[in-house]
Amino acid sequence: MPTSSTVDLKLASEGAAKHEKAIGIWRDSFNRLLKNKMAVVSMVVVLILFFFAIFGPYLTPYDFLKQDLSIRSLPPSVEHWLGTDYLGRDVLSRVIYGARTATLVSLLVVVLSSLIGVIVGSISGYFGGKVDFFLMWFTDLNMAFPNLVLGVVLSVSLRPPLSRWMEQMYLSSLNPVFRQSSLLDLALVVAVIVLVAWCPYARLLRSQVMAVRNYNYVLAARALGLPTFTIVTKYIIPNAIGPVIVQMSAGMGSAMLTESALSFLGIGINPPIPSWGNMINEGLRQWTSAPHLLAAPALVLGLMTVAFSFLGDGLNDALNPRQWKG
Amino acid sequence: MNGVLLEVKDLKTRFRSRGGLVYAVNGVSFHVKRGETLGVVGESGCGKSVTMLSLLRLLPPAARVESGSALFEGQDLLKMNYRQIQKVRGGKIGLIFQDPMTSFNPVLTIGDQVGEALIYHRHASKEVALKRAIELLQLVGIPDPEQRIKDFPHQFSGGMRQRAMIAMALACEPDLIIADEPTTALDVTIQAQIVELVKGLRDRLGVAIIWITHDLSLVAGLADRIMVMYAGMIVEEAKTEEIFDDPRHPYTLGLLSALPAFQAEKKVRRLASIPGSPPDLRAQPISCPFYLRCSYSIDRCCLEMPALQTVRNGKENDHRIACFVNIHERSTVA
Repeated sequence: MPTSSTVDLKLASEGAAKHEKAIGIWRDSFNRLLKNKMAVVSMVVVLILFFFAIFGPYLTPYDFLKQDLSIRSLPPSVEHWLGTDYLGRDVLSRVIYGARTATLVSLLVVVLSSLIGVIVGSISGYFGGKVDFFLMWFTDLNMAFPNLVLGVVLSVSLRPPLSRWMEQMYLSSLNPVFRQSSLLDLALVVAVIVLVAWCPYARLLRSQVMAVRNYNYVLAARALGLPTFTIVTKYIIPNAIGPVIVQMSAGMGSAMLTESALSFLGIGINPPIPSWGNMINEGLRQWTSAPHLLAAPALVLGLMTVAFSFLGDGLNDALNPRQWKG
Repeated sequence: MNGVLLEVKDLKTRFRSRGGLVYAVNGVSFHVKRGETLGVVGESGCGKSVTMLSLLRLLPPAARVESGSALFEGQDLLKMNYRQIQKVRGGKIGLIFQDPMTSFNPVLTIGDQVGEALIYHRHASKEVALKRAIELLQLVGIPDPEQRIKDFPHQFSGGMRQRAMIAMALACEPDLIIADEPTTALDVTIQAQIVELVKGLRDRLGVAIIWITHDLSLVAGLADRIMVMYAGMIVEEAKTEEIFDDPRHPYTLGLLSALPAFQAEKKVRRLASIPGSPPDLRAQPISCPFYLRCSYSIDRCCLEMPALQTVRNGKENDHRIACFVNIHERSTVA
């Protein structure tokens, strides 16, 4: 064919001029994120938190459990940068270890709840109809419960049977893991928060999926005879996940808050394992005489919540460039 | 060579809408032979695309095929179970869509998407699929395919995306390709390239093509046979030359006179248009859908629905129209 060679030539020149290194959609979003100052600062704060959460126990100046009753409730000093608490423990070490608790809980919460939310939301959004109706009814039902009250009821009612079960498991297996009540604390706190926290993810993804499933490329994928699972996981979810990532960042902050609230009420992470929530509780008893005991964990908690929230905001702008008003 | 590949009989598709049922496709019957190219022509909303989506059962949830059959290689597409129809989609029948800009998943590379179907239909490994994707892109005339398979769709121009989509449809060597206005979103020079490309591929691969378009002149050089649709019905069907030389239906005649004539010696004239607008498809058709816009209409047209009848037997293809009037006799009178 005479025409085909000219066509090829034309395309070749066009291709050569335009060709640049392939930049994926995620890389592109990340570049946009780096242009947002608040988001970058927040990201640094979050990274510092993660750093301390991972390496904290090797960096703390003192053992977070070591008590010294001769130096009770001291104000900040050169030896103890954030002072000591009512049992003479170093507050800085406890705040750092508390970062580990907070990060572990909120990461687990966010991963588990977004996973559940993504599964429920994508099934609901893609199949629609009765499946959608039932799943969203269930989600709404779940969301209608007051978050904290449900958490209190569940953790209080689940703890005794679970600790009995752990005791039995210990007696039958003699595995010391079953004697660690902190593990039970952690599992309960995570479970209780996840139970409610997955709902917004499900709703969010459902609405996104309902929009994306009508896109042409989904029809094109169906016309190729690709299985439903592939279409949902490769064609729909990656294009619908943006808002969920934003929600995950905001969710980290709110999971930290909820964990602290539960620990503050004495039904989350129990002393002596430090959590910012139970440190606030302990600090509250003597805040008039030793305000730093309250201030240290409260400020860190506040800072982290704000950082995650700003990071979420930055991600929102980065992942939805069309809405960007920069 | 000329076995019948696809035979559609009395296909009726309805949409549920707030304003009641929409009669989108009203008893369409046609066939496609192996290796043949069928042009389907009609204006927007005349049921061309819906007919083809009905065949592959890719209709939106609000639409339903009410009756009819579609025998493809002896099996009824409309009665197949999910697994069987999945094998046909992409495996036996490839679909090319109208808008290449939105028909690719932005998060997957071109190579992934072109090769994807092979993984499911031929159980190919990822490497084999990518290798085949390179061959396919080469076949459709994309330069430097080894590099370009790593590109994302936004790095392709419209024309190249349409080429890639053709490659995608060809991946599993289908017997039939349905091209749904594949050149509408492209500019004219690219349109010509795509038509040439498809022509070349058809001759090389012997694949049958249903080419849907609203542009009669586009399929003139491409199709063996042309089917003109109006308001969800076939109004005329004949060999391409006959459609152009001897149109029998007033609507086809109207379409043809609306084409610009490129003849230097001819006097410049205003392009003719067909007065009026297409009928509301929410009413069940009981009369000829075209009679209100037709300058040849007789009383019978608004009382009865004309059936598709053979007006001339051809060697291979009959000339069929759905009209009561013989426009040759009428035009001498008028």
